[in-house]
Amino acid sequence: MQNVEMKDINQERFSELITVNMGPQHPSTHGVLRLIVDLDGETIVDVRPDIGFLHRGVEKLAENRTYHQFIPLTDRLDYLSSLSNNLGYCLAVEKFFNVKIPERAEYLRVIFAELARIASHLVWIATHALDLGAMTVFIYAFREREYVLDLFEIATGQRMTSSWIRVGGIRDDVPEEFFKRLGEFVSILDERVDSYERLLTKNRIWLKRTKGVGYLSKEEALSYGVSGPIMRGSGIDFDLRRDEPYGIYDRFDFEVPVYEDGDVYARYLVRLKEIREANKIVKQAMEGIPEGPIMTDDPRVAYPSHEEVYEKMEALIRRFYIVSKGFKPPKGHTYACVEAPKGELGYYIISDGDAKPYRLKIRAPSFVNLGAISEMSKGYMLADLVAVIGSIDIVLGEIDR
Amino acid sequence: MNFEELKDKLKRAFPEGVGYIEQHGCNFIDVDVSEFKAMLKYLRDECDFEYLSDVVAAHWPKRKEKFDVIYNLYSIKNKLRVFVRVKIESDAIETVTDLWKSAIFLEREQYDLVGVRFEGHPDLRRILMPEYFTGHPLRKDYPLKGRKWFNDVDEQNLGIHFSK
Repeated sequence: MQNVEMKDINQERFSELITVNMGPQHPSTHGVLRLIVDLDGETIVDVRPDIGFLHRGVEKLAENRTYHQFIPLTDRLDYLSSLSNNLGYCLAVEKFFNVKIPERAEYLRVIFAELARIASHLVWIATHALDLGAMTVFIYAFREREYVLDLFEIATGQRMTSSWIRVGGIRDDVPEEFFKRLGEFVSILDERVDSYERLLTKNRIWLKRTKGVGYLSKEEALSYGVSGPIMRGSGIDFDLRRDEPYGIYDRFDFEVPVYEDGDVYARYLVRLKEIREANKIVKQAMEGIPEGPIMTDDPRVAYPSHEEVYEKMEALIRRFYIVSKGFKPPKGHTYACVEAPKGELGYYIISDGDAKPYRLKIRAPSFVNLGAISEMSKGYMLADLVAVIGSIDIVLGEIDR
Repeated sequence: MNFEELKDKLKRAFPEGVGYIEQHGCNFIDVDVSEFKAMLKYLRDECDFEYLSDVVAAHWPKRKEKFDVIYNLYSIKNKLRVFVRVKIESDAIETVTDLWKSAIFLEREQYDLVGVRFEGHPDLRRILMPEYFTGHPLRKDYPLKGRKWFNDVDEQNLGIHFSK
């Protein structure tokens, strides 16, 4: 893959471009990302991402599964925040049926989507700081993440691939212990984020590695379609939770952090602020959560409860029918998107009236964000490329699908 | 500007051959392939749809128009999302990479998986499947079983032996 060519770089001197291969097995590419980097000395001229090493054909698999059977596969997209993926998919399917979700389920969905955001951002700060040489933050952030994963385990039975959100509600109610543990967690989180900030925000090495690096202007950010913290770090005030509210997000009071600088440091500040805001939302949801059912009783999508199945013949038939054949949405197209930790995560579903989706397209935020990597890293040093990759916060499970 | 106002504005600019559908909570604009590019340009420049969120292609082997191509546009100013749907008979359509750079990756993906050729795309290569792969896996006529893994021929000279 070595190709050497002569190119006029800055009019004055001729220099040789060297093409370097980075990845797919490289600790700071966060998975199997391969980058082909054209270098002039140590300065980056062009970056060409080569992806697809983790391609599993999720969209093709979806076409041969019923709507319920696809939920576990959504976990494996962005495996650091599986509950956001579940939520986005279920919202899309619910749009076909116009289902009314019970209040308690809506609140629990918000709590878990925000906890997933916290967990994902904690992994991001840990690995990003580790890439740039700050080992301590890694250990601290993983300590808090472990707390969130324990909460997931209490409620869903799984630490990462939870498959907990269902079409029409959620799978199970949370046990009583959950809210006690959650209360402990939200009360310490702000303090813990302060401690990361003490380690990094004014750290001279951190500032040198991140400030002014990986600049993406507002116009380019829009044109490249980046979303999530990268977009907000480039000064675009856009958050799907606020601008296109899904679920019950319009009931919560939270800020959308926006920074104008457009560099790696701005994205760092956005994500740290987002952890605090997510914590704020979780606190509000904890206070407001009502008692009640957690699954809709809409017979088109909901499984009958076990009690009903044991007593009533009709419920048994309906359960059998939904499990074996699946439910059939009306013909048409629909799209639902959520503000996942990485950005806009959308599911475009085409239904032909069958129990399986005719075509399902996943709009993965990391995939689109990665498209801007060349623009972000041109003109910087090769070592800065590591900072840029870290700041995009890619998950290859989602990019390659 | 909501979808009704957008409809009025578009009806003045494109009086014929455009369908407006609101279905399952989404706004769709069905447009003919001859003027879809002009429509997208108009939406971007005059109606503040500066954000191309997604490009979706779907294969309909039994229909006369073999492919659907769907552009997912968002206006951050108006907080409005519309889907521009185009039906094409052949497998070729004009690219929109000159309007939005996000289309570079998104169109490459649809080319790779569904096999719609975006004419004028600066870098139309496979993106998720390996370069030496043949066929387009998300087409409906792509076999689910009994296919060969890759080409029989080791084109890149990687020393891989393909079983037959």
